[in-house]
Amino acid sequence: MSNQNKPDVQVRRFSKGFVWAHAINGIAFFALYITALPMYTEFFDWLYPVLGGPEGARLLHRIFAVIFCTPTLIYLIFDRKGFFRWMKELVTWKKRDLQFFTEFVKELFGFNFKHVRQTFFNAGEKINSIIQILCAILIIFSGFTMWFPQFFPRAIVQWGYVLHNVGFGLGIAVIVGHVYLSVVHKNSRPGYSGVVTGKVPAWWANDHYTEWYEEEVKKGNFPDLNDPKYKKEA
Amino acid sequence: MTKYIKYVDVTKCDGCRACMVACKNWNDLPADPQDFQGSVQSHPKVSADTWNVMQYIEHENGKGDLEYLFRHSACFHCTDAACEKVCPENAISYSKYGTVVIDQDKCVGCGYCVQNCPFEVISLKEYVDKNGDKYRKSQKCTMCTDRLEEGLQPACVTTCHTGSLEFGEESAMIKKAEQRVKEMKDRFPNAQVYNPQGVGGTHTIYVLAEKPSVYGLPENPKVPTSAVIWKDYAQPIGKMMIGATTMAVVGAFVTNNIISKRKALKEDRGEDHE
Repeated sequence: MSNQNKPDVQVRRFSKGFVWAHAINGIAFFALYITALPMYTEFFDWLYPVLGGPEGARLLHRIFAVIFCTPTLIYLIFDRKGFFRWMKELVTWKKRDLQFFTEFVKELFGFNFKHVRQTFFNAGEKINSIIQILCAILIIFSGFTMWFPQFFPRAIVQWGYVLHNVGFGLGIAVIVGHVYLSVVHKNSRPGYSGVVTGKVPAWWANDHYTEWYEEEVKKGNFPDLNDPKYKKEA
Repeated sequence: MTKYIKYVDVTKCDGCRACMVACKNWNDLPADPQDFQGSVQSHPKVSADTWNVMQYIEHENGKGDLEYLFRHSACFHCTDAACEKVCPENAISYSKYGTVVIDQDKCVGCGYCVQNCPFEVISLKEYVDKNGDKYRKSQKCTMCTDRLEEGLQPACVTTCHTGSLEFGEESAMIKKAEQRVKEMKDRFPNAQVYNPQGVGGTHTIYVLAEKPSVYGLPENPKVPTSAVIWKDYAQPIGKMMIGATTMAVVGAFVTNNIISKRKALKEDRGEDHE
């Protein structure tokens, strides 16, 4: 019972807009990956009959392609403030962000580590965001040229294939780590329920995103965990 | 094995189009009706149902004369074929004759070959199956590989009555082409052999009366640089990257378990001594 001293009070980390945008993004990404996988490697050719033949796979890939374009809009429309905070954090880099990575490697493999004070997003999440944004731009724009080659010069279509490949190749490699950290890794697992429900345990938010948590305490949005009433008698 | 290639001397061609008819006939290709092209040419270029097309080009030769140029156009059967490189299903391969052929059972109709062929001679054809569902397959000239297997020459070559088309041993054909270019330099100063090295040479070589561009052919065709980066670098590196991150998280999972077990063990021992 290592959590016995940790109060079970929850705080809101993500808006509904973010939760939906993130879920649609994730589902569309994997659907797109699976529907194109037999084209990527012959090892998965058995997926063709499952997906309704090459034509079925192609149709599904196009449907999910359109869905894949929507999360940015959803996030922007339903949580404009959150969207711009995200953008601002992505371009803000300080010494603590670099310190984060040395501690992160220790944490990843289960060694002793200390928390480096982070803002709303930690440096790893920021790197993930930046890579995924770049990959999504590559994938979406090159996807257009591949879907509608008749409207583009031949050279653009040919380079589109390369960029599509680079985009999802890099994207999936990073996503493996992203999913592992949230679903499997024990220290960051509350992040997974957080991205589904929007809420995370206050103690966890305070540990992982100290600067953000303290700001919200100052604003009076979050409980101050140093307050004796949150410290259990034990 | 002796390497055989198709030889096309455009200056001997009289534009009779028997090659087009023979191709349709042998390969059982349906009629492909077109609107009037503005000249005697029947189709703008090769298509999924018309694997070779006679080009009729009205060319002003720079001396104020009009040249009426003909060219039998079809797949070049590159030694280094871009279509074969980009095909994601390995549906396109080199036959033992060096001809480039499409396995219709493996083709998924993605059209990557169509977009990457430096000569633009591959087309997608749409079919309807018995359930009314549409599907697509890539189509192009096969160099009558099925005839070659029977010891026959390509249908277009067999039918050509002017000797414009020949099928023969590579070095002999190249020699013949070079000789022919020498013979007609007075009449056609720009005459040349077209056997582009950017695609490793082709299995259809031409004696052209004019520069390739006059015939709408690329002067220096090659496998697109994008196709090389895509297939030789981006794809294998991408597969390595997902392998690397997967190994990293598996490693992390294992070390996490080991370390937390050790910690638990230490704690247990600590308690025992109390």
